[in-house]
Formats: sequence, C-alpha cells, structure tokens
Amino acid sequence: MVSHQAVGLFPAPDAALAAAGKLKGAGFATPSLMSPIPMEGVEEVLGEKKSVIKRFTLMGGIIGGICGFLLAAGTAVVYLHPVGGRPIITIPPFLIITYEMTILFGILFTVLGFFISARLPAIRERVYVPEAAVDKFAVAVEVDDDAHFQKAESILREAGAEEVRAMKEEAA
Amino acid sequence: MPDNPRKLQFADVNDDVVRSLTQTGSAYYITLTVAITVTLVCFFFPWFYQLNYGIGAAGMNQPTVWGTYLASFIFWIGLSHSGTLLSCVLHITQSSWRKAMYRSAEAMTLFSLMVAGTMVMVHVGRPWFIHWTLPYPNQMGLWPNFRSPLMFDVMAITTYLTGSSIFIYMGTIPDFAAVRDRTTGWRHHMYVMLSLGWRGTDTEWHRLGWAYTFLAVLIIPLAVSVHSIVSWDFALSLVPALHQTIFAPYFVVGAIYSGTAGIVTVMFVLRKYMNFEHYITDLHFDNLGKLLIVLSLIWTYINALELFTAWYSGTSTEYEALKYKLFGYYAWLYWEMILFCAVAPLLMISKRFRTSFVPMLILSIVINIGMYTERFLIVGTSLSRQYLPDSWGVYVPSSVEISIMVGTLGMFSTLFLIFVKIFPSISIYEIKETMDQPGEAATSTPGTEGGAD
Amino acid sequence: MSFIDQFAEQWQAYRKPGYYDKFDYAWTMTIDLDRCTGCEACVTACQAENNLPIVGEEEIAKGRTMHWIRIERYWEGEYPDIKLRFIPMLCQQCDAAPCETVCPVSATYHNQDGLNAQVYNRCIGTRACAVYCPYEVRYFNYQTHHWDTPLDQQLNPDVTVREKGVMEKCTFCIQRIRLAKDTAKDDGRRRVRDGEVQPACVQTCPTEALVFGDRQDPDSAVAKQLNDPRAYRVLEELNTAPSVVYLKKVEVDAGAR
Repeated sequence: MVSHQAVGLFPAPDAALAAAGKLKGAGFATPSLMSPIPMEGVEEVLGEKKSVIKRFTLMGGIIGGICGFLLAAGTAVVYLHPVGGRPIITIPPFLIITYEMTILFGILFTVLGFFISARLPAIRERVYVPEAAVDKFAVAVEVDDDAHFQKAESILREAGAEEVRAMKEEAA
Repeated sequence: MPDNPRKLQFADVNDDVVRSLTQTGSAYYITLTVAITVTLVCFFFPWFYQLNYGIGAAGMNQPTVWGTYLASFIFWIGLSHSGTLLSCVLHITQSSWRKAMYRSAEAMTLFSLMVAGTMVMVHVGRPWFIHWTLPYPNQMGLWPNFRSPLMFDVMAITTYLTGSSIFIYMGTIPDFAAVRDRTTGWRHHMYVMLSLGWRGTDTEWHRLGWAYTFLAVLIIPLAVSVHSIVSWDFALSLVPALHQTIFAPYFVVGAIYSGTAGIVTVMFVLRKYMNFEHYITDLHFDNLGKLLIVLSLIWTYINALELFTAWYSGTSTEYEALKYKLFGYYAWLYWEMILFCAVAPLLMISKRFRTSFVPMLILSIVINIGMYTERFLIVGTSLSRQYLPDSWGVYVPSSVEISIMVGTLGMFSTLFLIFVKIFPSISIYEIKETMDQPGEAATSTPGTEGGAD
Repeated sequence: MSFIDQFAEQWQAYRKPGYYDKFDYAWTMTIDLDRCTGCEACVTACQAENNLPIVGEEEIAKGRTMHWIRIERYWEGEYPDIKLRFIPMLCQQCDAAPCETVCPVSATYHNQDGLNAQVYNRCIGTRACAVYCPYEVRYFNYQTHHWDTPLDQQLNPDVTVREKGVMEKCTFCIQRIRLAKDTAKDDGRRRVRDGEVQPACVQTCPTEALVFGDRQDPDSAVAKQLNDPRAYRVLEELNTAPSVVYLKKVEVDAGAR
C-alpha cells in the first residue's frame, strides 16, 4: 500500500501555513508541515495538538518515586543490616533516594513519551524534503489520484509554492 | 559586534556548522594529539602505577585520608553544573542569548561528569570493585547501603549523567537531521542513526518542544540536588569545619560559579578556533559576566558566613579549624582563593571588561583555579584539624596526584575535541529561530535577540 | 491478624531506633588512666595478635601509621612546670557509629555482639569511614604490606592479612570472642562467662588498666567499673555512644599538696 503525497516548498513560514489552511479547507486530509525551525501558529490553522508526554512524565515520576522508596526500604528489610544505631527504615536518607529515582524515571518516561508520540525512531520511509532542514518550509498532503494531485498543486502554487513535488511513501 | 559584510541567511548557518564538522585543519589534529598524549602520559600512566602500588602512591596520610582526588571530583562535578543547569534555566525563562552557546555548555556538563566519575575510580582504594556501589545484591543477598551519603552520590550522579546525556541528545536530533543531508560516507550513516528519521514536521516539533521543556523542568531540581548531595559527603560527617548546614547551598553556588567561568573559557575557545564569531558575540560574554559577578558575590557572602558561624560558635574545635584555615599551613592557599574568587571578579563591574574577550578568558581561568583551591581546602584543611590533637597532620599532594590532576584536563579536552567533530556544537535550529525569518523585515542580528534577561 | 496489622507491626519494628538493642552481648572496655603507665605493651600485643604490618620508617614519616591501639601523648603547661598525659585510643565500638552509616557498600556494620565490624572483603576503600570517625582510629592500607621471612611465620592464623586499598581497625579481637562463644556453646552454656575472653591488649596490660567484659552482665568486672564516678567517654558530646569507657586520672591539686 502506497500513499501518494503532494509536497509544496515555500520560502517563508507564513505562506506555508496559509497553504496548509487552504488545503484543509478544500477537503484534503490534514496536511503536515516540515520546517527548519519550530513554526508558530500551527495550532490555529491545523487544529489543537494534544501531547501525551505530560502524562508519561507524571507516570514516570510516580512510578520512580515508589520504586525509589521500595528500593531503599525493601533492600534494607530483605537483608537486616544494623548500621549506626539507626532504624532499619531510615526515612530521611531514603527520601533522597526516592527523590533521585523520581527524577530518573520522570526523565526516562518523558523520553519514551516523546518517542511514542512523535513516532520516532522512524521505521518506514516517509516523505521528506532535505530543503526543509535548511531554509524551506514544506507542506505535504495526501492525494488519491492525478486529478486530486493537480488540485492540490494548484492550491499550493496559488499560495506561493516555489516548487511542488509528487512523492510517495509506504502507508502505515 | 563583529561587522557582518552580509546578513546571515538560514543556509549560512547550515554551511557554517557542517563546515565545523567536516573540515578539519591540522591545528585540530595537533591539539587532539597533544590532548591524548597528556591523557595517556599524565593520567593513565600514573594511575596504572597507583593501581599496582596502592593509594600510597598519592600523598594521603592518616588524618587526611581524602586528598586532591576528591577535590578534583568535586571540582569536575561543580564544573558540570553550569552547562545543563544554566541551559535549562535559560530555556524555561526563554532567554534567547542561550541559544548560541548551550550545546557546548551541555557538552561540558557531560564530559566533566565523565571525568568526575573517573576521579571516583582513581580515588577509591579498590576501584576493581567499584561496581559494588551499584544497586544490585551480591551473592549473599546484600545490597548497597542506601543510608550512605556516598550512595546518594551514586544515585544522583548516574541520574544526572543520564539526564544530561538525554537532554543534549534530544536538543540535537533536529540538527543531526540537518547535518545528515549534507554529509557523506561514515558520517552520513552515523547521522542517519542519530537523527532517528527526524523530518521536522509540525507534530515532531510540537512533541520535541514539550519533551524538552519537561526535561528542563526535571533537570533543574536534579542539578541542585546533585551538588547538595556532594556537599553532604562532607557535611554529614562530624568533622568540625565540615559539619555545617550552609554546605549544600555553598556547594551549589560554588558549582554554578565555577561552571559559568568554565563556560566563558569554552566559549572563547569555540569562538576563536571554530570560527563562530557571528554566533558567539560580546553580548554572551557580557551576560555571562553579569551572572559571574552575582555568583561571586553570593559565594563571598557564604564564605564570610562560614567564618562568622565558626567564630561565633566559640567551641574549641571549630575555633581551631578556623584559625588553621586562616593562618595555618595552607593559609596562603586560602588567601589566594579569596583573591581569585572574591576580589578579582569585581573587575567585571566594568562593562568594558565584560565585553573584552581575552581579559574575560584570563579571569575565567583564574576563577577556576581559585575554585579548585577552594575544593582542595575543604578537604585538606578540615581533615588536618579534627577533634583529637594527637592525630593532627599535614597533607601534601604527591607527584602522582599532581600529574593525574593535569591529566584530567587532557581527558576533558580530548572528549571535548571529539565532541565538536560529531555534535553540531552550536544549535542550528535555535540559531535560526533568533534570526530574521525568511520573508520578514530585517530587525535583529543572530543570537542577540532578547538581550540580557 | 490482618495483613494491615502485620504490616503496621513490622513497620514499627523497623522504624525503632536501636532496633538492635537486643544484642547477644554488649562488649565493653574500660581504661583506667590512673593505672595506665603508657608502656605501649598493648600496642605491641595488638600488633602481634592482629597481623598488623610494620609499615616502616618512610611510611611513618608520611603519617601513615598502623596501630589499632595507640597511646596519645599530650603535653600540658610550660617548661619546667610541665606534665605529660597520655590516653590509649582504639576503636570505640560506638553503638551509634558515624562510620557505619557512611559506607556505601555496607562493609562496616554492627554485628550481633554489639561490635562495630569491618568486612575487609567488601571494602572498596572510599575511606569515608575514616573521615567520619571522630576518634581517627581507622587505618587504611596504602599498599600491600609484606612480612619478610621469618616474620611471616609469626602471623596469627586466626586473623586475615589485608591487601592494599582496604580499611581496617580494632575488632576487640573478634577471633577470640568467636572462639569463646564457640567454647561456651560446646560446653552447653548459653553465654560466655566474665573473664573468659580478653583482647590481646587487655591480656597484656601489666598494670591491669584495661578491663574487658560484657556490660549486660551486672556482675562483670567491667559493669562495676562503669559505675565509677571517674567514668567518662571521649567526645561524648558527639552522641556516638562509645563502648570504651575511660576512668579519669585523679590528680592531687597543687594547692592541696
């Protein structure tokens, strides 16, 4: 299964964003933008983006905190080891371990959340224009057939695209 | 401000960075060879001798069982504190002057942490068993002692190393992708792997922005905790001059102070030898100078406070330790430290000083010499004067220790030199963010937008 | 009993400071400074019993002594009105030992005899315990020491020799305590009798300034000395709860003489 895409290259972010808005208005699937820098105002045009990363971070923190305390207290209990006249479960030092583990798991889960939600690392070929890593702003939209492509191309050109390419990628 | 013959374009940034990665002059190879040689000769050779002979190769003795190895450990951990921490704070406060320098500052964090980890191995008596400090049970089912401040260190430093590696890597993914398209051969394959198939889509940027901010928010309290914990290695003991509540903030401020000075040094070198004059400008030195002077004042205040509490307590042990610090065997080092870290930085009150590159370089090195002295004094003077006068003593570092101290500089330089050829050492996409967007009127110069905030 | 009750009970047990109050023994040493002549026989005895290396002139000059018990010497006053005082200093076997909490690998801990034990095999040589010890009685092996023939023939087979990078200290001659406990067990007794076990230093002391025993036994010699009004502990204000008790030297006031 191959998905065909029309990709328009724009010299400026505003034109690319406007083109994406028009494509969406014309009944195309939500286009994706490629840019060398994070673009502002994407959400106003393409709809709000929700990120699950914060949930991952929170979960990671909670799991890490519990694991951290269990690591310190549990290992003290499984091998009773009298130290310095202190109780077996010494709260203040174990809280430090808890704190560090909270942060460690928070970080690791944030990374996991990022990879999952940004669909990285890429496992299949996807549409990519190398110019978008330098100074061009690309708009990619899925098209069904040639007529559909031409429609997309005309919208892109109208919005100021310097170049429109027909590309294809393996569909998910 | 270097005069720009032509306004920088987006493509120029890519060109400059790719050039910094692929075009290697003979000066680089000479420096790298020198750095590797210093590492081998000054670090590994004496270390192998010490491994064979025992810690006796160093100058440590009965009252002063900790010496320069631990001082170096604190110093390198301290140096690591500005990179990622400063980068995170400036990211959260959206200071755009961070953008030209944060990548190399974070690399500094990473490599100083690695060097600090190596110092732990040099420091302990039986480094071949250092893995026993990792949280896993031995064959008897015995785990490490999580009540130990040293164990806090293990947990904190591994977390910090993990966190800052991830932080620098996440921030570089888009740049790896940009460099990927411009390189060939083994470099291309490496960057294909490293960039993970990054395309720069709106979704990817959105997720990266969130993840990066969360990481920054997590790393700030982590970095503060790391140096607090390092201070507790000392403050939780009963040694008169070390058992102080002020130690955690003292160490954290000292760490950020020496780390910021370290950034100035690294920035100077990058600017000079990697030809990043357009990106690292006098504005960065000006802002770093302002930061340094604030940190220097806080540091001086805490030092004065430490003396005052020791004097006011009036206990014989504290008083003796104080007297020894100010007028004893190591007194000249103490006054050198005061001169280098409290008095000399006052020069930065002048804006002309802050914006001149060579004086700032010299001052930043002077500050770090002073800060190394501080760490040496914390270990050396305090342990020399403890409770029982019978076991008072003096510690003088041996030639092995001094050689290893120099060798760590070589090791850090080697790691950093390898880094600048693999990582884009300034952030391509964040520099572009501070530049004029294509299709906009020219309003600002690269890397300077936002000014000091 | 429900699970929660069991958990709460366990929790409370584990949260109790001095969970280890119920030691089998509470070995204690008293040192009568009135009797001590500073002859250093204890130092020599310890050296022989515990396979302490002779570090040599060079190492001593560097300050790397290796005496599990040492005689500390203090001069008081100005010449000619000068007094020499000395105090034997050894591991105080603290009940709340600062050295134990700091060891990251649990190489030093409190054993069931109430002793501050050091596990040489587990030690990685961070030397943090020596910094945390206010009595400065932990000694570090800066190198592997060797015994030239025939000195190696006199090594005590009951005691291990330590390699470079390991911390060591007074054990209250734990090998003798173990032997005494084993003998007591073989005899069908539950406990070691008072006076049955003595560390090498106590055994050697010509003036019997050193007394060793179990302070849990109210009839033991050491328990009786603890009630002496002269009894004090060194650096008691640090709350390390030492198990070595000193009996102060009584001096006749110069004015009353």
